[in-house]
Amino acid sequence: MQIQVRCGCGEAACPEWAVVEVQGVLQPQPCFSGRIQGLHIGRLCSTSSPPSSKGGYTFTIGYHELAGSKVTLKKPLLVLRKKKNGKGGTGELGQGGPAEVELEVIGIIRHKILFKDRPKALISKPVPKEKKALPAAATPSTVPPAS
Amino acid sequence: MDAAMEDAGAPPGSDWDRGSGGAEAVLGLTGAGASLSVCYHEAFGPHADLILLEAGDDLLPDLLQGRVTVRGRPEEEAVLCTPSATYAMKFVGTSNSMFLIPPGEAVAASLRPDHTNEDATVASDASASIIKVAPGSIELVRTAPRLDKLRSLLRERPYVLDEDLGDDSEDKKGLYTWEDLCVLVQSSDSELLEGLNSLSAVEIDGFWRTVDVNSVNTVLDMILHNSVLHDWLLNALPENGVLSVMESDGFTHKIVAHCLSRFGTKVEQEAGSCWRLDERLVCLQFARKALSAGKMKLNNFMDKWERSIPSGMRADLQMLEGEVLYERLGAETWVHAFSVADLPLTPAERFVALFRERPRWEWKDLQPFIRDLRVPGASSEGLLIKYARRTQPSADADPIFTAR
Repeated sequence: MQIQVRCGCGEAACPEWAVVEVQGVLQPQPCFSGRIQGLHIGRLCSTSSPPSSKGGYTFTIGYHELAGSKVTLKKPLLVLRKKKNGKGGTGELGQGGPAEVELEVIGIIRHKILFKDRPKALISKPVPKEKKALPAAATPSTVPPAS
Repeated sequence: MDAAMEDAGAPPGSDWDRGSGGAEAVLGLTGAGASLSVCYHEAFGPHADLILLEAGDDLLPDLLQGRVTVRGRPEEEAVLCTPSATYAMKFVGTSNSMFLIPPGEAVAASLRPDHTNEDATVASDASASIIKVAPGSIELVRTAPRLDKLRSLLRERPYVLDEDLGDDSEDKKGLYTWEDLCVLVQSSDSELLEGLNSLSAVEIDGFWRTVDVNSVNTVLDMILHNSVLHDWLLNALPENGVLSVMESDGFTHKIVAHCLSRFGTKVEQEAGSCWRLDERLVCLQFARKALSAGKMKLNNFMDKWERSIPSGMRADLQMLEGEVLYERLGAETWVHAFSVADLPLTPAERFVALFRERPRWEWKDLQPFIRDLRVPGASSEGLLIKYARRTQPSADADPIFTAR
């Protein structure tokens, strides 16, 4: 079978997506399990002044603070969206006929804000009702950070 | 990844793409102290229909202008094809959390009914919204097109001369159009076309066919026969003359033109188009014919070969590089057909086939059977080191290659 990769936006106007990348996983507290849509995670803060624009950032999640920077990807990432066309009732083994599945380029990622270090605890600032925690156990130290 | 990608299972009401992600706000966040709230999107979920594909800047124009397809049967590893190149698709997972933030204006996070976002600063200012945590991305690695399959498809039903007569059945089994091949063969269009050329395939009535070897021999014999009858020079066969004489002999235009291009090159002259037959290609065809019955003593073969070739041409054993193997049995040298064109196209299988034929190879014998191997990112030397063991009995002796 053949899947066409289409792009509705064209080369010049492909919308840019953003990526915030942290080491390990973000674990919502058990009480939110299943419905975290719309939930606030944390605050992203720029730490450098425009002229230098070195792209320093902090990301504060609950009482954890991460320090990171903006990284330009060596190779951009395209965001593809898989679309099923029409009926598509014959399953994946459709014999040669017109492709039922299409991939559409819906965005491009050229930069990410990467937090490659483990979080630092903000002990001076007690958070009465923290929503998320980034437990140390969830940040595997054996895995080198992607950079 | 599999060619049949997992079903997406998009959550109902995924209207997130109307734009409210805030990617611009994230990327544009500069200046000491500038900050932005980050939250899960209202439509946050697994979104298995969203896939990240890493693409170098050289590939972007093709991808963004719709010139790229993903090809493969569900049971095959998917490949991505630009108009001219084939890439393997490798999913690379990450243990980091990659939060994807779609474009669109950052909007204030809605107050959740359960007041979990009750912090006033959070609710009031703009938020960037995460739609999905990407488990990794697909990397593209240049790969050789899978042309072995093309060869086996086209050998299912070679074109034979008599099929023009009678056989009017609608049976299309074993016949493939260009579109069929694009779907079945994991290759970019231009590599597919090159593959068809190297198989000497020809498009007949919309189907790409190889031509049965006996039929090729018959047409070639008739062209040579007519050249004698009509005093045509073998290095200047008049195209129109050949086509019309052959047509009156019952050969279709298409198949005669195919044989001319298979054994010659076109030369434009004032009097019209001419074809110059290639001595090596013609002699090679006669050598194959001479050896088609099996192995022969070299002397007998040379006699038979030299007698069969058209007068004016000269047979030379160098023409048979990559087409025959010699064997010493007692005082005699024997020769048998062993054509590189019949060997597998992937290096691993090629070396298996070579060492099955002969456990030990001298370099001068081996070289014609591996020089056509093309693997992106590997040289012939690299392939040799990977698949063969090199031994050299003494410093001035020729190296010997054996299986690993």
